Amino acid sequence: MILTIARRDWAAAFKTPLAWLLLAASQLVLAWVFLRVLDGFTGLEPPTRSAGLNLDLSHNLFGTAAVLLLLAAPLLATRALTVERREGTDQLLGAAPVSLAALVLGKLLGLALPLLLVGLLPLGLTLTLLGVAPVDPGLFAAATVGLWLCALLFSAAGLYAASLSTQPALAAVIAYGILLLLSMLSQAAQLAAAQVSLLDWLSWNQHLFWFLAGVVRVSDLAYFGLATVLFLALAHRRLANQRLG
Amino acid sequence: MSALLDVVAVSRRFGAVSALSDLTFSLDRGEVLGLLGPNGAGKSTCLQVLSGNLAPSAGRVLIDGIDLARRPLAAKARLGYLPERSPVYPEMRVDEYLAYAARLRRVPRARVAAAVARVKARCGLERSGRRLLGKLSKGYRQRAGIAQALVHDPDLVILDEPTDGLDPVQIRETRALIRGLAERCGVIVSSHALAEVQAVCSRVIILRDGRMLNEAPVGPTRQPSGPPIEAAGETLYVRLARPASPEALNRLPGVAAAEPDGDGFRIRLVPGTGADGLARAIVAQDLGLLELTRPRSDLERLFFASIGAEAAA
Repeated sequence: MILTIARRDWAAAFKTPLAWLLLAASQLVLAWVFLRVLDGFTGLEPPTRSAGLNLDLSHNLFGTAAVLLLLAAPLLATRALTVERREGTDQLLGAAPVSLAALVLGKLLGLALPLLLVGLLPLGLTLTLLGVAPVDPGLFAAATVGLWLCALLFSAAGLYAASLSTQPALAAVIAYGILLLLSMLSQAAQLAAAQVSLLDWLSWNQHLFWFLAGVVRVSDLAYFGLATVLFLALAHRRLANQRLG
Repeated sequence: MSALLDVVAVSRRFGAVSALSDLTFSLDRGEVLGLLGPNGAGKSTCLQVLSGNLAPSAGRVLIDGIDLARRPLAAKARLGYLPERSPVYPEMRVDEYLAYAARLRRVPRARVAAAVARVKARCGLERSGRRLLGKLSKGYRQRAGIAQALVHDPDLVILDEPTDGLDPVQIRETRALIRGLAERCGVIVSSHALAEVQAVCSRVIILRDGRMLNEAPVGPTRQPSGPPIEAAGETLYVRLARPASPEALNRLPGVAAAEPDGDGFRIRLVPGTGADGLARAIVAQDLGLLELTRPRSDLERLFFASIGAEAAA
């Protein structure tokens, strides 16, 4: 049932210009960043350009992709639920033998595919350098995993925001608010020194940073997993409450 | 054995507003139950509760003996629901949409194509399979909405204003479809159109302000209670300028029975007598014929009597 719902959303995303526009716009921005990074390395002697290139690409290119995902994922997620309400198809789902959990997971999976493709774009760009520059595939694979996990977290936060408001614009603003607040927690942690390291841990960009550095840590995987599940559970709770009124 | 649908003391509140209070009724296979009421009477809320889209504040809904609140998936598998607004995705084609609806209702993958073909034939969508739902006319979108409610052969079909937006030909086809459905399953139809309910329903519940005011059998040839009224001959309503007693009207040629009805009389003619014969007889007696019409339907009288708007009618 989860797959049935996700497949419909995939088809809707790729039959309308939505997913293609997202991919095209992302590719344009990323290609520009990619060329700009490469530009800084042209003309340098081989020893000075090996390690720096990989990290520079990881931080700039994959970092930009994370920003694109931060912009796109909440919008797509809020749209996924509010469109159902606007078209009245939430009544179709509500009267079908589909649990709310399956609905929420189906929606997340439906969002995951176009966003995972966006997450693959920087990897594709960096792999074009294979053979002509000393690229580190392991580093870029880790960064791609980080992007995917970010995309899932942003989508889950977007779904939760959409469950709070029937207005797509308001829901998107709520989602951005939640995600920006989470990302700013690390700055609060820096202000207050080591006592509030929990705040640091709660901030998603701190965890993404390790992936972009090529380090895959269990604590980062656990953070993204737990935060995604938390937002999905909140969205589920909220939708169940709406039926109860 | 329990009925197909048992609604037991169902109430629904939205904050301080009571949208449904203490609704109790049941439905068996082969019945078409009409929910009738003015706008805002609670018809759509009632159907949303029965379809599982809203949880009741109190009371229970049992579909085939299965509690909708405790085992929602098993209960909903037996249910087909057309909401007030046809729930279609504009970017999908009719075939894709119906296949999706079938999969949501757990029709096995191998049987989806056959189920879609069958329901398209039933709803007159055979030639629309490749069309985008967003490009369909309102009538065809409504047909697609009805088709999604029937694609999995449900035991209980709930239709919220199914003929809304349809043209007269489509209305007649939809009525025939609903009557056909009733051969195998139970159907609930909500409407604010009396003719709609009269045409398809075997029983009617009249709602107002979320309360059940009346429950009565209906049908084109039956009174709410009592013997068939059309069997003996045509029934007409007359209004006269001069005072007359039912006995005096009973003595007129061609009159089988006369009884007071509002400020006029309801007259049943003997078979073979027509309205022209009755008019001639009344004029010959110089009773001052002001009005000679077909009487208001039994359902119409029941409805207005129930909601207390007889005078306004």
